[in-house]
Amino acid sequence: MSLLELRNISKLYGDLKALDDVSLSVERGEWIAIMGPSGSGKSTLMNIIGCMDKPTMGEALMDGVDIAKENRKKLTEIRRDKIGLVFQQFHMINYLTAVENVMVAQYYHSMPDEAEALEALERVGLRERAKHLPSQLSGGEQQRVCVARALINHPEIILADEPTGNLDEANEKIALDLFSQLHKEGTTLIVVTHDPEVADVAQRIIVLDHGRIARVARGASVAGA
Amino acid sequence: MNRRRMFLRMVTASLLRRRSRMLVALLSIAIGATILSGLITIYYDVPRQMGAQFRGYGANMILLPGDGGELTIEAAQDAMSVIEREQLIGASPYRYVRLDMVSRQQSFMAAGVDFEQVRRTSPYFNVEGRYPENDREVLVGKFIADTIGVRLNGVMELTYQPAAESPSEGLREGGFAPGEVLSGGAEGWNGGRVYVSVKIDGDGFIESVEVDASSQTPEIGGACETEDFTSRFIGKKLPVALGVDVDAITGATVTSAAVVEAVNNASASAAVAGSKTINYTVSGILDTGGDEEGYVFLSLDGMAALAGGSGSLDVMELSVSAAQDELERYASIINEGGAVAARLVKRVTRSETAVLSRLQALVFLVTAVVLLLTTICVSTTMMAVISESRKEIGLRKALGASDGGIRSEFIGEALLLGILGGASGALMGFAFAQLVSVNVFGSSITFQPMLLPVAVLVSMAVTCVSCLLPIKRAVAIDPALVLKGE
Ligand SMILES: Nc1ncnc2c1ncn2[C@@H]1O[C@H](COP(=O)(O)OP(=O)(O)OP(=O)(O)O)[C@@H](O)[C@H]1O
Ligand SMILES: [Mg+2]
Repeated sequence: MSLLELRNISKLYGDLKALDDVSLSVERGEWIAIMGPSGSGKSTLMNIIGCMDKPTMGEALMDGVDIAKENRKKLTEIRRDKIGLVFQQFHMINYLTAVENVMVAQYYHSMPDEAEALEALERVGLRERAKHLPSQLSGGEQQRVCVARALINHPEIILADEPTGNLDEANEKIALDLFSQLHKEGTTLIVVTHDPEVADVAQRIIVLDHGRIARVARGASVAGA
Repeated sequence: MNRRRMFLRMVTASLLRRRSRMLVALLSIAIGATILSGLITIYYDVPRQMGAQFRGYGANMILLPGDGGELTIEAAQDAMSVIEREQLIGASPYRYVRLDMVSRQQSFMAAGVDFEQVRRTSPYFNVEGRYPENDREVLVGKFIADTIGVRLNGVMELTYQPAAESPSEGLREGGFAPGEVLSGGAEGWNGGRVYVSVKIDGDGFIESVEVDASSQTPEIGGACETEDFTSRFIGKKLPVALGVDVDAITGATVTSAAVVEAVNNASASAAVAGSKTINYTVSGILDTGGDEEGYVFLSLDGMAALAGGSGSLDVMELSVSAAQDELERYASIINEGGAVAARLVKRVTRSETAVLSRLQALVFLVTAVVLLLTTICVSTTMMAVISESRKEIGLRKALGASDGGIRSEFIGEALLLGILGGASGALMGFAFAQLVSVNVFGSSITFQPMLLPVAVLVSMAVTCVSCLLPIKRAVAIDPALVLKGE
């Protein structure tokens, strides 16, 4: 069974079809890139996969559970247990230090554990910045903290909406290296991006247009292999 | 780090972060708590303070003779023992006796009192001069002073006649006791009075005469004080006649005649068996605008010296700092005993109760309004905080925070605000109450330790109620908004 199985899902905002009859199946451990012009429904799709929104029509099976039919509480539980989120705007709680930001995810998931949180920061190369506030970190560093926060609870899927959108090349590289590592460890990755280079690292590239899947391609690394 | 510590860390950090907003909320809670605790302090203290103020309007309870028909000081003290020591402001004994001023042919009521206690139970007494300080001084009601014509520092010869008959002219039938001293006075030169003390033997012959002619012209009438003049009375039998028994001093005939008249008055006042006359100095004139002006006040001992008897009272006036229901309770306990009858002075206790209940209603009203305003202010601030941190709340939810988790974080912040605001407010409130008390009542108050927990609990309740609506908003925030590129 696929980890994620979307069957003919649509999301309507009034007359606007943000998603229009999208079907997609994602295997465990797969790395998928989602591309498409602005307003094509990428974030809408991520919201549904991330259990933060429900499709208007269709089925969205996560480990066999149809998230379209679950209530808010259950969705929160699924999100907490299975999903790690990385955002374009980093979204840190700006009065908490880097390590505390990571621990917030632990707090909502189960139990804050500073040692483990520091380990996660170590992984993204920010061990020594643990006590710094977001305002004392660069954009790239903040994004790395967010990655540490996303992986702290060992999620099955990491959803990243434009994770490199606000990063320079050097930081983009660090972020992609982190993703590669996670991929190697078997984490499923779904990454929204405008950047073909970022998309190319993925195994499968889904291109959305006007809420529909316009094209599916294989990533360059896979294609090249 | 366990969950609770992380929770506290997040809550406190969040409060610190929004310092300015939280200061506003904190300030409004603190002000609310200040007024609340200040008013509570005043509320509990005012009856005491007001009681003390009202005690200025006189006794609010009186003790009268009970079944026994007699009120002794011991019985009164026994009855008073049911009243808490610190509530008893004063206990003033009164013994009424009719006294005469023979030379003026006036008769009036005199009250034997304890001036120390009178000052406490009747602080409104307005005394021209001063209160009597020994047993030979009297305080004269203004009405009497005006009718009789006694003046401050003047002398008043008071006569007690046990049979209550009117003083008869002439000599007493039963004769005199050997060595008995009689007092008397008469008008001399220019309206001034002269006073005499006459010592007589058992047969009515004068042994010696002492004259107080200080109201007369010293060089003229003053000569009547000399032995040259007073010796002229020795060996004479009462009554004496001027020009027959005693010759006047040349040039001071008026004063001489007055001394002779005073000596005869002294004998006349002693005309009734057992009657007694003592000269008192008027140390003060009493001006109250009330019935008291028709009395002459002297010390209980001073009265006993004149009228005999002691320890038996007519009434005991009590000034008790207690509310009406408590007074009624005391009175009924005392009345049960039967030995003494207790009555409340209704006029005083009623007005006291009315003012207090009105004041307390006012305190309740103001407190309710202040709490309402505080609630509105905190609520508005929290509303602003939540709309400012929509993103952050969305993020928390995206990270897996349940509705309950969001709710408990905001309640946690509210409680913390309540504790801080309430505690600081309680202390400021005490200072505020102290200020009011010192300025309005002129006395300080003691800090009630209970105030702290009460103020903190009320503040916590207020902040929690204030947060209900804002929290509802927070819970409704959509986690999906964190993915929106805003
Ligand atoms: N809450 C909403 N209400 C109404 N319309 C919405 C809402 N959210 C998204 N849309 C619309 O749905 C469409 C898809 O939006 P979506 O955010 O998924 O685009 P996107 O592909 O993520 O674009 P971008 O690359 O700019 O982030 C857009 O036309 C958008 O205006
Ligand atoms: Mg988007």
